[in-house]
Amino acid sequence: MEKGLTVRRIVIAGVLGAIAILLGVTRLGYIPVPTAAGNATILHIPAVIGGIMEGWGVGMIIGLIFGVSSFLNATVPLFKDPLVAILPRLFIGVTAYLTYVGLKNVNQYVAIGVAGFVGSMTNTLLVLGMAVVRGYMAVGVAATVAITSGLPEAIVSVIVTLAVVAAWKKLGTSGRQKSKISGDL
Amino acid sequence: MSAEFELTRNITIGQYLPTGSIVHRLDPRFKLAAFVILILAIAVCNTYVGNLFALLMCVCLFPLSKIPIHYGLSGIKPAIPFIVILAILQLLFYGGIADGGTVYFEYGFITITSESIRLVLVSAMRFVEVIFLSSVLTLSTSTTELTHGMERLLGPLEKLKFPVHAFALIITIAIRFVPTFAMEMEKMMKAQASRGADFGTGEWWRIVQRTKDMFPIIIPLFNVALARAEDLILAMEARCYIPEAARTRYAHYTAAGKDYAAIVLSLVISAVMLGIPW
Repeated sequence: MEKGLTVRRIVIAGVLGAIAILLGVTRLGYIPVPTAAGNATILHIPAVIGGIMEGWGVGMIIGLIFGVSSFLNATVPLFKDPLVAILPRLFIGVTAYLTYVGLKNVNQYVAIGVAGFVGSMTNTLLVLGMAVVRGYMAVGVAATVAITSGLPEAIVSVIVTLAVVAAWKKLGTSGRQKSKISGDL
Repeated sequence: MSAEFELTRNITIGQYLPTGSIVHRLDPRFKLAAFVILILAIAVCNTYVGNLFALLMCVCLFPLSKIPIHYGLSGIKPAIPFIVILAILQLLFYGGIADGGTVYFEYGFITITSESIRLVLVSAMRFVEVIFLSSVLTLSTSTTELTHGMERLLGPLEKLKFPVHAFALIITIAIRFVPTFAMEMEKMMKAQASRGADFGTGEWWRIVQRTKDMFPIIIPLFNVALARAEDLILAMEARCYIPEAARTRYAHYTAAGKDYAAIVLSLVISAVMLGIPW
């Protein structure tokens, strides 16, 4: 893989960042769940997909865009704290990428699915961990939220990530073409 | 029902409304800095009067920038049902989680305290303020100006090997594509609905059903987005775009009195907001 931010990485990060913003602004990315955190979310999925497709740098940038947009859109005080809203989100794409790279040689699709799960759990655990550390939640409450909204989030994340990345990998073999200059996947 | 499909109408982010007002003519670097100062002040301030003051200031921004206020209001509209549900949940349950405040009502696990009422009201006001502020910013600043401003503000980071230019480009692409994808999504929702799919109509407590309803929208959205990304990559590479190449700048900004005034004004507003003790 080439190093640094190539045209491909810049564009993919921008486009997936746009999806994160769009799903946040239209509220379509939230699933209202009656817990202390307010809702389950699928907004972290662009960061997971970006991490798998273009590496940890892209995953981190999309995580940052997601974090900032969730900070600006937040309606609960929990996410009005940049340490909870932005910082943990940087690592979603990174762990997803590392998982994908680690398992890639076993089986592509297993690697994508597990990376989707790990990325989503990174979001859940780090955000809730931060919430406990910053004193917004008791440990018990956070554990309940992790199960009631963290697990459904992880399942949705696995399904969407698998479907999108698998379809993207096939792109170029039929119909629309991928750029030949940088498309080495 | 039809309103559910009109996503583009409700998305004010990424739209630009040229009215040539004084807010439009501010130096984007200073406008952005003032925006950041005000957003931080809003995020920290949790008093009634402080937030009322901030709300008033945000409303005043609309006539000042000659932008009709319904642009700001339309950004709030789609979120109202969501905010109401959340407000009710916070009102009923937050009092039990957080300590402090006078207890007004207690029944089983439902506790309503002065703190939970404060939380609901303040977060509602905060939400409106942030929407208004960001609407005015994006409506009065073109994305190009916004990116230029951000690139200059982040400029010092270049010394730390941070890819400022590439980062600014990513943000531009992200903001530029939000309305495009909103349009795509609207098309897809209509296409799926015409085939008999039904979303947004399920009861909110049937969480599994509502989640499943989203898949036929979310997955094609990603695919369309990535296909568009491929087109853009091809177009940029065909024009020999090199991210790290040294560039000269087309736009040069020189700060004038009004720009410094904007910064001072936003600092004063923040100080008043945080200074009010109630």
